[in-house]
Amino acid sequence: MSAIVDLILGVVTSIGGFVEVGSISTAAQAGSEFGFQLLWAIAAAGLMLAMLVEMSGRLAAVSRRSLAASVRERFGIHFQAVPLTAELLIDLLLLAAEIGGAAIAIKLLTGIGFQWWILPIGLCIWLVLWTCGFAAIEHGIGLFGLVTLSFVLAAWRLHPSPLDLGAGFVPSLPGHDAVRYAFLAVSILGATVSPYLLNFYSSGAVEEEMSEKELWVNRTTAYLGTAFGSVVSMGVLVTSAMVLQPRQIVVDSYEQAALMFVPAFGRWAITLFALALGIGCFGAAVELTINAGYVAAQVFGWSWGANKPRRDAARFTTAFTLVLLMSLAIAVIGFDPLRLTMISVALTVVVMPLLVLPFLVLMNDPKYVKDHTSGAIGNGFLAVLTIVGALLAIAVIPLEIMGG
Amino acid sequence: MDLVRDVLDKKVSDRNGRDMGRADSIVLEIREGAPPRVAGIEIGPAVLGHRVRPVVGRWIAGLEHALGIDQGRPLRIAFGEILDVGDHVKVDRAFGETAAATVEQGLRRWVSSIPGAS
Repeated sequence: MSAIVDLILGVVTSIGGFVEVGSISTAAQAGSEFGFQLLWAIAAAGLMLAMLVEMSGRLAAVSRRSLAASVRERFGIHFQAVPLTAELLIDLLLLAAEIGGAAIAIKLLTGIGFQWWILPIGLCIWLVLWTCGFAAIEHGIGLFGLVTLSFVLAAWRLHPSPLDLGAGFVPSLPGHDAVRYAFLAVSILGATVSPYLLNFYSSGAVEEEMSEKELWVNRTTAYLGTAFGSVVSMGVLVTSAMVLQPRQIVVDSYEQAALMFVPAFGRWAITLFALALGIGCFGAAVELTINAGYVAAQVFGWSWGANKPRRDAARFTTAFTLVLLMSLAIAVIGFDPLRLTMISVALTVVVMPLLVLPFLVLMNDPKYVKDHTSGAIGNGFLAVLTIVGALLAIAVIPLEIMGG
Repeated sequence: MDLVRDVLDKKVSDRNGRDMGRADSIVLEIREGAPPRVAGIEIGPAVLGHRVRPVVGRWIAGLEHALGIDQGRPLRIAFGEILDVGDHVKVDRAFGETAAATVEQGLRRWVSSIPGAS
């Protein structure tokens, strides 16, 4: 019975916690510029995320170690230094972007400039982490995040043609601006498969003492939760494609993206969009912040855990506090949150091989996962998608920047 | 025992099971006319940084000196004090009595001063 409750809670949490600043901005831009044509990218990225999340839970359940701790032990600090630095830098940018996204959501509700909300949001993130244990953080974010289902409801109310939707799941070449199309495909991958999610998930599994007996719960939660979560991302893309593309509105700010809700929700459009954006971003910011503490503590072997009194894990607490302060500094400087998001998610794909390939090695090492090693098809799919994605990112990011 | 596989980078816990850090380096004693002998393990960010790049290790050591927390760091644990090598490296020390705890204890005073820390 407890396993069933865990499963339901896990799936609901995954749905509510799926959409954040990266997925909203990439899906909204993809829909407004290419209609349904990039739905396949969300599906492929969702499948990749589901596989990786399942693996990180399996690793934690069998080895009782998180991903960051396992990489340190298996490959040593000399190897880990580069991907670790890359991941922390990207997480810092992404955290600043999430805080910016949440601040813009409050601006949409109040009309007061978003910069004024950055420090109060930072304080709220810190208070959540100071006062809550892991389950409250994870499930609280997921339950409040169910407001993001309004993207699916909006798409539903617009009655998209099933045939057109189906065609979007078949990869096809665009009729215009191929570089931009490839850049958005890469960005969708980077926004969906955020590296922080993997360590956050495995750390959570360690905190909640997931055992080998619960591997089926882990597998079901990973695949069902990610599948339903991807549907929310697809809801963003479909709504954007049906509302913004015919009006030739290109999403270059979150304020413009909010217009996609007007036909579906009328006078509630801006409020609902702001709530979905704000709660999605705030939840992701909380997870990013605590994950920075997890990574630092696990790599250096400190005492850690959201379920421990903060005084018993002082370095862990200090680490996530410092990372939050650094991200607040970036956000306060006044970078445009949308641009910051797009930079972060595109760079994520560039460094992804450094993060995913060692993970694949771990998941085939019986010393860590005993007889629960990964299958050849899964390994091949993840390796190919990671490497192709990175090569594509390296090719299109400079072209995108040169093209403005 | 394979030192790199079984000891280096493994988590180190004290005799009471408290996390002390990781085996950031292994100290070998070079003896004339005899094979090297394992002297012990070291814990501390300066030796860890040194493994990444010697200059990083020097920066961290300089920072520890500037902050006045360099006494007894890095912590060296003699090979004879290692009790067990398994998932973790268990050593016959008490974390709170070693220099590995300097930063944790300093930060704990600060963290404890905030309501709700315990």
